[in-house]
This record gives sequence, structure tokens and C-alpha cells, in this order.
Amino acid sequence: MPTKKENPRELIDLLRRMWLIRAFEEKASALYAERQIVGLLHLGIGQEAVAVGACSLLRNDDYVFGGHRSHGHAIAKGADINKLMSEIAGRATGYCGGKGGSMHIVAKETGFITATGVVGGTIPLALGAAFAAKEKKQRQVAVVFFGDGAGQAGPFHESLNIASLWRLPVIFVCENNGYAEFTPLSAHTKIERLAQHAKTYGIPASTIDGNDLFAVRDAMRNAVEECRSGKGPIFVECLTHRMRGHYEGDPAKYRELSQLAEWKKKDPIARVVRVLKSKKALTDKQLAAIESEARGLVEKAAEFALSSPWPAANEVDRQVTA
Amino acid sequence: MFVIRHFEENLVSLHDKGVFGGHYHLYVGQEGTGVPAISCLRSDDYLFTTHRNHGHLLARGAEPKKLFAEILGRADGLNKGKGGSFHSVAPSLGFLHSSGVVAGIIPLSTGTAYASKAQKNGRITVCLFGDGSLEEGAAPEAFNLASLLKLPVLFLCENNGKYGAGRAAAAAQSSSMAAYPLTDLPKAYKIPAQQIDGMDAGLVHATISEAVTKIRAGEGPQFIEAQTVRYPGSETNWPTVPQPTDTSLAWDVSSVPEKAREWYRSCDPLLIYIRELAENEQASRDEIAGIERQVKGEIAAAVEFAVNSPYPKPEEAEKDFFA
Amino acid sequence: MRELAYYEAKFEALEEIMAADERVHLINGTFLSLSPYRHVYQNLKNKYGDRMISPPISELGFCGLATGAAMAGLRPVVDLSTGSFIYEAWPQVANEAANAFSMSGGQTRVPVVFHLFHGLRGGGAAQHSGSPQAMLWNCPGLEIAIPSSPRDVKGLLKTAVASDNPTIFVDHTRLLDMRGEIPDNDKPIPFGVADVKRKGSDVTLIATSYTVQVSLQAAAKLAKENIDVEVVDPRTLVPFDLATILTSIEKTHRVVIADETHQSCGVAAEIAARIAESGFDKLKTRIRRVSTLDVPVPYSPPLEAHIGPSESRIIDAVRAAVA
Repeated sequence: MPTKKENPRELIDLLRRMWLIRAFEEKASALYAERQIVGLLHLGIGQEAVAVGACSLLRNDDYVFGGHRSHGHAIAKGADINKLMSEIAGRATGYCGGKGGSMHIVAKETGFITATGVVGGTIPLALGAAFAAKEKKQRQVAVVFFGDGAGQAGPFHESLNIASLWRLPVIFVCENNGYAEFTPLSAHTKIERLAQHAKTYGIPASTIDGNDLFAVRDAMRNAVEECRSGKGPIFVECLTHRMRGHYEGDPAKYRELSQLAEWKKKDPIARVVRVLKSKKALTDKQLAAIESEARGLVEKAAEFALSSPWPAANEVDRQVTA
Repeated sequence: MFVIRHFEENLVSLHDKGVFGGHYHLYVGQEGTGVPAISCLRSDDYLFTTHRNHGHLLARGAEPKKLFAEILGRADGLNKGKGGSFHSVAPSLGFLHSSGVVAGIIPLSTGTAYASKAQKNGRITVCLFGDGSLEEGAAPEAFNLASLLKLPVLFLCENNGKYGAGRAAAAAQSSSMAAYPLTDLPKAYKIPAQQIDGMDAGLVHATISEAVTKIRAGEGPQFIEAQTVRYPGSETNWPTVPQPTDTSLAWDVSSVPEKAREWYRSCDPLLIYIRELAENEQASRDEIAGIERQVKGEIAAAVEFAVNSPYPKPEEAEKDFFA
Repeated sequence: MRELAYYEAKFEALEEIMAADERVHLINGTFLSLSPYRHVYQNLKNKYGDRMISPPISELGFCGLATGAAMAGLRPVVDLSTGSFIYEAWPQVANEAANAFSMSGGQTRVPVVFHLFHGLRGGGAAQHSGSPQAMLWNCPGLEIAIPSSPRDVKGLLKTAVASDNPTIFVDHTRLLDMRGEIPDNDKPIPFGVADVKRKGSDVTLIATSYTVQVSLQAAAKLAKENIDVEVVDPRTLVPFDLATILTSIEKTHRVVIADETHQSCGVAAEIAARIAESGFDKLKTRIRRVSTLDVPVPYSPPLEAHIGPSESRIIDAVRAAVA
């Protein structure tokens, strides 16, 4: 349940943003099935509360780093969905001119610095941004999103250690969706909660319901305040679930259907809607309008992307070095 | 322990005379950990060690003359001169590899443990490393694997970061690790971990013995942090020794330069052990001095051997890199 | 002779290897990639599950584990999946596994196989399209096998596992579907023996991995222009069979080298240098390389298609060589 700080108008905005992500991901999935998008596509359907809950509390000049499942994070930070869809479709009008693709989004104007295809790859990078932020003394923070799979990677530990030692203003947001690629977390480690690792290095850490937008906001509100005031890093572990496979094309046979059904009941968007309705702040008509508006924007983005030209061949020689 | 101490001290004079070059690291002040720990092992157990390996190799029974020769880059060395100080190995003693890269051996130790478990030969692996290794990502990755796969490995961390009298007593570690105590790191992976005084040879022996028994019984990995105090002379880029060790220092440190005296008085595991033996009447001062004289003679002969050992032929560089 | 798909031949090899030698363990398991063929791999798991482990995302950790296990007598085959992920494990591969035998003066053997899928895969972008074999060729102590056909993958994988040296097994996802012939009593293929995949008399076209198949297609097209191309496949980079290449050049006097590693210090660069050193007088025209351009691999399909050693770029190079 939301704390008193949440007002309905703001909540509806957040809902809009969550719907935008959901609609975007569903469209991307459809385009992939039509082979309009190629390569690897990792969707965050079901994890919208983390992205929106976290990014909604950040300033534009705060840094955000993501991973291979970061469309939602970029959108939550304010990325232009036309340029995002174009990038995923490999077109010249994409954020990176088609050079990065789904796993390597950069939307610099929003503070979304980069995503990476290497599990845990941006965690050390976020340290760097936090280090720079500390030097600049403008109270910026760096946020890095990663999954439970990154918890077993060496760089994750090295980063926790350094962030703690140097009191860097970085917020580690772990989306623990229980699966690292196709394997349940329990097959990768005896640890059930990654927040435990943060505590080992003396970093304040909490584990929350990542499908509860308000829980995420509360945790982030606190984290951002602590970080901005120079107290050092914070770790927030968000328990959530990805409703699709690891990537598009993964039939996810390793997952019990009953598990999927369980998580459907906890759908983050549905939960926000329930709260808004209980406060009589949202009618069915308004909800339908929000969904249709989101889908409308996404359709336009898809049209924009698919009608955009491919990058010219000689583009490969540009931007290799500055 | 005498062997190690006199070996290391002789190395310093050899280096200062220019007989060999390159970096090297001494085990002075840590003999109280390595010697009793390694004595708890079976002859076919595996050991991995780091750049600070002389003490471990000697404790396990490597011939001083061959180790000297290796460090001097001579053909009669343990590795025929190809490894040098950092990479000295003795497979017949269980040392398959030494790495000069901090934490390089930690993942490898999970490998030999994995192999022993698969081969059901009852061997265990001891991974000897320092407190600095815990800063490398390789360490937690290895801990996770060892814990997950219940591997028969003993992680023995020799934390020589404890500073002695005159410094903040509580902080017993280097400043580059946020986790404290260090045992929190393996414990995060549900690996049983303990912190002990690495200067107390008897305690080390008892603790390691117990840990080894548990590991051999299939209980999974164990972690032991043995704390010691760095010896005066280790802080410089190139090791120095303030005072050649002699049994008499156990009872009279007046010959030691003043700022180093406290270490010899309270933190030298070799002298601590000598005092204990004498106090418990397990050996007389004369007997102890006699043993030392013998060791000094052996070491001197080993130095002779090494210094007279030929360098390998240049063509040897092109051999032995493929099996 | 039987006709098989590449992935079938690879699976056969894995099965025969696992059946023949208990010391072989498989660490990680995307040998047949993340493709529709994964079910085939499941059959292996049903039979040999106790020798197959699925580690966490800790390349540094589990490559170290594989290396250590090899030192202790197992023969692990560790799968890195996407070739670029070997960069996470680089210290253990390049600094430990590659050096151990030499550093120990020939005492410690490391019979580990590091398997990976390299190259342009269709939308992989910069971090999933790496071809690390050129960099690995620059690490003495590693053997490198790089098959291009069903017969080769089966024969080379067997030799890789039997070798006492750390071996990089460089595969390509685009080969998995292709079909080819295997003799009925197929034997392991020795390292250091190149294969003339197509006999010709006008140009020697040296290619590796998937580019061999692209080169064969190019050669078929060029045949219609009466250009007779000889396609030579080294099959292993270390050890490297220069003799077969020189024999070919004696006949054709013209060389084109096509390979997917980036141009600078790439595989084609090294082969060109060796030919220039030993076969310069046999050449009638300069050596031409068709390598992936020196740019980080872009995501967009037309850009990715532009930078690789495509059929059209190979054809252009061959035409230029005979002009």
C-alpha cells in the first residue's frame, strides 16, 4: 500500500509509464516474431514496477546503467520510444544509429548512460559514474540495474567492495527474478537473497517486493536521499518475475506453469490499478484510455522505426574512435 | 621453521649481492602458520600457493638447494629455472602450480578439489593465499563454486595485515577490503570460517587438523584466517632483514635495532615457539641452538649448490611449452 | 561414408568421448548452442549427468576450476558459449593455463579444452560477436583448433580432448546446420594438418571456420568465370601447417586469406606474415586479406553484413589476384 506521500495524479502518470513499457515490450515481441527485429531480444514484461518505481525518483542528471533487459529502464528514465524502437530494429534513426541494438542502449540526454550484453558488465561502470559524481559535488547519484545472475560474477563483488570503501553514491538495484538465463538461482548459489552480499561489505541493503510499485518507490526514495547526502552506496533487491522467457524464442520449459500463474496474480500494473480504483482515482474508462494511448504511441514508434532507412554501409567506419 | 627463516634471510643477502634479480617475497614472520598447517596434510594432498611461496614449499619438504637454484634461475632449480620465485612448483609434493597473480590460484584450487571428488581418491586441496586476494572477484566466484559443489578444499588465508604495537590494534587487516572481519566473505557462501592467531603454532596445528578431518569426511569447504604481523623489513619494495635471526633473540633482543625490537619480542612466531619449547622443558636452550646450527650449515651448503649450479642453456627457452 | 549434419557429428564426438574416458567432464553445456538442437544434448545428460556440471555465471571462476581439475588429472571440456565471454576468464586462460607447463619446467600438464562459439552471428552486436582466436594465438602455450565441417569437428574435438595441452576449440554457430560426409571408421584428426577443401590451380584461398564454407561458395561462382580456386583450411592455428599452404602456392602463385577475426593482428595477418617469410619468391602478386574490418561489430544487419569476410569481398579479392 502506498504511503501518504503518493498522490493520485502522480500515480496515474506512473501507471502511464508502466503501460508504455508493457506496450513497447509486447510490440517488440510481435515485431521479433515477424523478423522485423533480429538478434537477441530480452523483454522485461512483468518487471515494470522496478523500472518505473526506481527511475521516477531520479533527476535527469542522475546516471542509470542497465543490462541486456533494459528497454524498460531506458523508457522509465525518459528515453524517446521512437528512437528506441528504431535502435532495436537496427535503423539509422535509432539512438545509436543501429549500431548497438537491444542490448546496448544509450540515451545520453536522459542520463541513461549505457546497457551491456555482458552479465554484470555495467556494475563497475556505475562505480565510475558515481566516482565522477562525487568529484563533481552536485549530489548526482548513479543507479545500476542487474539481475540475480550477476550475483555470482566476480566484478559484482569487487564493485560492492570498492563502492563501500570509497563511499560512492551508487544504488545497486538487483532485479531478482529467480532465473539466470535458463537456470533457477538455487542452482547457481546457496544464497537466496543477494542483499546478503551487500551486507557483507557493509552496505545497507533491503529486499522488497519488486512488483509493488510503492514498495519500490519507498525504498528508492530512501536510497536516493542517503546517497545524495554522501552516506555511501545502497543496495535494493527487488523480487520480481519476467513473464516471458529469458529471450524471445526461449520456450522457458524450465519454468513451471503454476509459477507463471502465481506471478500473473502479482502483476505490477494490475496492482497499481487496484490501488487507484480503491481510492476512486481511476475509472475503467480512464484505464482503457491509458492502455490505448500507450499502444497508440508504440504503434507510431513501430511505424517510425520500420519506415526509417537502414544505416548506410560506410557508417561502419564512423564513430569507431572519437 | 629454522629452515624457512634462514633460507629467507640468506636470500636477502644473495639478492643484495646481485646474485639474482626480480621481485621476491619472504615468509619471515609467518612460519608459525605454514609449518604446522602443512604438517596436517597427507602426502598426496594438493597445495596451491602464491608469490609468497618459499615457506610453503620448504614446509612441505622441498629441498632448499633446489629452491635456491630456482630463484637464482639455474638449471638445477625446481622448474629448471623457468619459473623463478613466483612460479616454483613441486608436483611430487602436491604443488602443481604457483601464480604470481593475486588470487590466480583460488579458482584453480576448486579444480583440483573437483577432480579429487570425482576421482574419489580422498585427497583434499589447501589453497594458501593472503588477505589481498579477497579483493579480487576470482575469490568470491571460487567460494561460490566450492560451496555449491561441496568441494574438498581448505581456504587458508594468511592475513599478515595486522599491525603491531604502536598502531591501532583493532584493525587487523589491510584497508582495501570493506568486509570486516574477513571471515564474513566465505560465511556469505555458508562456508564455515574461523579467525585464529597465526603466530601460535600449536593452535594452528589443532585448528587445521580439525578442519582437514572435516573436509576429508566430505563436509565441504572450510575457511581459516590466520593472523600474523608483518615483519619489519617487509614494508619496503625490496625485502630487508633488520637482524639475522639467532636463537638467542628469543631471550635477548638488545642487538636488534630499536624500532624492530617489539616485533621480535612479541610477534615472531619462530621465537615464540622457541620460548614455549624451553618453558615447557620440551627442549633445552642448548638443544635448540644446536638444531639451529645444523640448519644454518645445511642452508649454507644449499646456497653453495645453487650458486654453483649452471644457468640453463638459452635454447631451453624454446622447449617445454607443449606437452 | 555417411552424411551427417554438423551438429550431429559434434554430438557423436561428445558421446564417444564421454564413453571412452571417465576423466572427461563437461563444464557448462551449450556445445550445441542455444539452438533447437539442445534436446540432443539432453540425451548426453541422461547418460553422463554426473560428469556434467552447470556452473553459475562466473567464467573466471569456472575456467579456473577447469584448469585446476586438469592439473589434477581430469580432462575437462569447458564451454564458454559466446566467444566474447572468454574475456571474463582471460586471466585463467592466458595467464595460468597457457603458462603452467612451461613455468613448471614441464612438470604440470593442463589437458583442458576451452570451447567457444566465435564470430558474426546475425544481430549479436559488439559484445556477442567476438573472435578471440587471434589474441589467443598470441599466447604461447595454447593449442587452437578451428573446424569447418562435420568430419573436422568430430575428428578435431577428439584430438583436442586427448591432447595434454590446454586447447581452445573455436566453433561457429553458422556451421551447426551444414551437412557433410564422414567416413565410416572415422579417426581423430591430428593437429597441425591442413585440409585442401577444394583443389584448384589459379589461386590459393586460405580460410578458417565458417569462412571456409563461404569460400567454397565463392569458389563455385568463380569457377563459372574460369577461375579455379584452391581452398585450403588450416584446421588448427596452433600447431600450424605451413607446408600444405606453401605446396599450394608453388602451384598457384597467388594467395587470398579470408578469416573472421579483425584485420589488425588477426589470423590472416599472421598467416600472411608466415607466407611472406617462407614463400615470398613463389608469389606473383601481393598477398590479399579479407578480414572483418577494424570496427566494433555493429548491430544493424546491413552494417554487420558489410564488415565481415563476405562472399562478395572474397570474390573481389580473388579476381584482383588473378587480374
